[in-house]
This record gives sequence, structure tokens and C-alpha cells, in this order.
Amino acid sequence: MLIIGALALLTISFRSPTSGALHDVQGYGATALRPFQLAAERVARPFRDVYGYFSGLASAKSENKKLKAELRDVRATANANLAAAQREGELEKLMRFEQGSKYPKDYRSVNTTVISYPSGPFAQQVTIAAGSSSGIRVGTPIVTADGLVGHVSNVSSDTALVMLLTDPDSSVPARDVTQGVAGIIRHGQGNTLILDRVSKAAQIQKGDIIVTQGTVDRRYPDLYPYGIQIGSVLSASTSDIASFYTVQVTPFAQLDSLDAVAALISTKHR
Amino acid sequence: MNRLDGVKAAVLLFVAAILQVSIFSQVHVLGGVPDFLLVTLVAVSLLRGAIVGAVGGFFAGLIVDTATLSTLGLTSLVLTIAGYWIGRYGETTGRDRGHAPFTSVAVITVLYSFGLLLVHFVLGERAPAGAIVRGLLPAIFMNLILTAPAYALTRRLLRPRAHGDYATEVQLLG
Repeated sequence: MLIIGALALLTISFRSPTSGALHDVQGYGATALRPFQLAAERVARPFRDVYGYFSGLASAKSENKKLKAELRDVRATANANLAAAQREGELEKLMRFEQGSKYPKDYRSVNTTVISYPSGPFAQQVTIAAGSSSGIRVGTPIVTADGLVGHVSNVSSDTALVMLLTDPDSSVPARDVTQGVAGIIRHGQGNTLILDRVSKAAQIQKGDIIVTQGTVDRRYPDLYPYGIQIGSVLSASTSDIASFYTVQVTPFAQLDSLDAVAALISTKHR
Repeated sequence: MNRLDGVKAAVLLFVAAILQVSIFSQVHVLGGVPDFLLVTLVAVSLLRGAIVGAVGGFFAGLIVDTATLSTLGLTSLVLTIAGYWIGRYGETTGRDRGHAPFTSVAVITVLYSFGLLLVHFVLGERAPAGAIVRGLLPAIFMNLILTAPAYALTRRLLRPRAHGDYATEVQLLG
């Protein structure tokens, strides 16, 4: 009986994973379970913080030195970018340049916490403690202060399922802003990502910054606005028989230890 | 099994399911993830038999699938079979044996992993056998560490039954 029941649930849920009566019931169930998950998450947080504190201490000195050097470079780049951004705004007004929602100006963020984590290699998805009642929809981009995390793949009224960039089904149109090269971000080995479909004629260098492309393509519908940071190039290699570069990207967001995330809700109607 | 025992088992499995999705699923060691829910289900099934194991597995799986907004029934299906199978082992061969919880956890961790793999494969979803196999030994090791405290706690809440309460042998009809 129970096995037949499980098979029936499995069949119905598999056929319509994001809509239908069963999905609604699942949503109510998820809402009811949310306080328990939040409570468990809060109980676990001090232990996680203590672990993070001690693991951070081990590499604090070398990381501090590295970050100071990075800060010097970033400060110089930020000053140059500020002037360029002001000029860009003026030019857009002069040209009456029409475009979709711009990140981060045209987005408001719904800050929330992660309440469940991927438990195996089948799917890289986490559950967050905010849902459609906060304006979150299927396809809403999810970020942290470090960069892009993924997008919402299923939503109930008070919780939402987020497909991480490391999920095998995730593909994000992306751009190497340093070189102006476009490609598709897919999952790679472990916690790394791959910038796929990059022509061998392109120039890619270690340390290049990868951001979301923000274009609309029928085959790869882009859910993200232009300019959300994804990661930096770890290595780029090719072979004689390969058609494309193999570009390994390290994500900026710590995808294996997510705690608080923000859902980006567009304030501009497309 | 009396009603109080049923409530205790339900609360125990509910708490284990919540802890699994909120805390234990975050612990990744060498590709393996501990499964506190599976270990608790093994303890409940060994102490209360196949029917309680199957029902407990079904509802615990439902809680996991609901809390994670994943495909309903997937975890339930595999946990129902796991609970029933361990329950039968407890009712017949495994009772009164000190090593039974540890043997059961080690074996069921392997079967549960491959069971999930099989269901994902049948559904046409990603079924990374390599990743499962690589994470299997660390997962067994971590589950075995959890077995002693989980079994002790479950045994404290659900006192072992008298010998007469067990289904002892298969009876041929006719």
C-alpha cells in the first residue's frame, strides 16, 4: 500500500513539479515545516560559526596580506569605473537608449536564510525561507554579497527551491568582462564552474572576471540581468581537436556553505 | 505497539528528518554526507519491526521531500523499502544481537544510496554513479559514528519488545 502510495505521489509530482493541487499541498506542508527548519538552522549556526572562526584563523595572516593587495587594485579600478559609469549614464540619456532592468538599480532584494541543503550528488539545490508571498517567482535570481548563486526553480508561499550554479541542469549565459568574450557557465568538477562555448580565437586569461550576460536566447533563456558577478577564471586551456576553450571558473559565492542569500526582484516591468 | 510508542516514533523520525535537511546535509566529508534520518529509521525499525519501519520510512521521506520542495514520493519510496527490510531483519535474525544496528546501518547505507540512484535513473534524471560510489565509504563511516548515540536514544524512548511480540517465522498456509 505504502509503496503504491509513494509511486502515485512520485508520478503526479514528477509530471507537474511546479504547479497543480499536489504542488499546492506540498507548499502548505513546506510552510508548516519552515519554523522547525529555521529553529534547527538557528541551533546549528553557533557551531558552524565556531568552526568557521577556527578554520579562518588558520589562513588569516596570508589572506590578510592577499586582500590588502587586492584592495589596492580594486580601489584604483573602482575610481576609474565611477567616472565611466557617470559618462555612460549621460550618454544613455542622450541616445534615449532602451533596455531591460539594470542590476542593481532596478532590483530590490529580499534577504533570507538557507534552511536546507543539497544532501547528495543528485541535485545541487537549496531551500530558502522566503517564497511567493515575498514576490519570489520561478526564475528569480539569487545572489550573495560575493556573487551569483543560482535561480529559483520551484516556489511555495513561504519557501523556494534554488538551483545552484553547480547543478548539472544549470546554464547561465555569461561574459568575460575583461576580454569581452561570451560563453555559457555550466557546472564543472567539484565546486568549480566551466565557461563553455568560448571560441578558440578568443583571448582568455587567468583572473578575468566573469559576469552574467543578460541577453535573451531561445535555447538558453537568460534569467539574469547583465553584470552580476559570477567568478574569476582559474585556468584556460585548449587542444588541437577541441572546438572550444576549456575555461575553469572559480565562483565568488561560497556555494558549499551558503547561509544568507538575497533574491533579486525586478522593480521595473519588462 | 501502543499509541504512545507510535507518537514517540513519529516525533523521533520527524525531528531526525528536520535535522537531516537543516544540519546534517551540510556536512560533507570526502564526498560523503551523513544520514541521521536513515540511522534513526534503522533504530526504530529494529526495535519496532517491519510495519512500523515501513510506515515511518514513508512519512519521514514525505517530510524530507516536502521540506526540500523536491519530487514528492521519491525519498518515501526508498525509505519505505529500507524501513520494511530492516524491520524484517530485526524481527527475525537481528534481534538481541549487539552488532545488528551497525550491520544494518552499513548495509542499508549502501542499498539506500543505490536505491536512490536507481529511482533517479528510472526517472531519467541525473544519476551520478561515480559520485555515489566515491562518497559511499565516508558516508558509511559517518553513519556508523551516528549509530551508537541514535540507537541508544531510540532504545531509551522505545523499550525493546518482549520476545513473544516478535514475528518469529514464516508460516505456510494451506
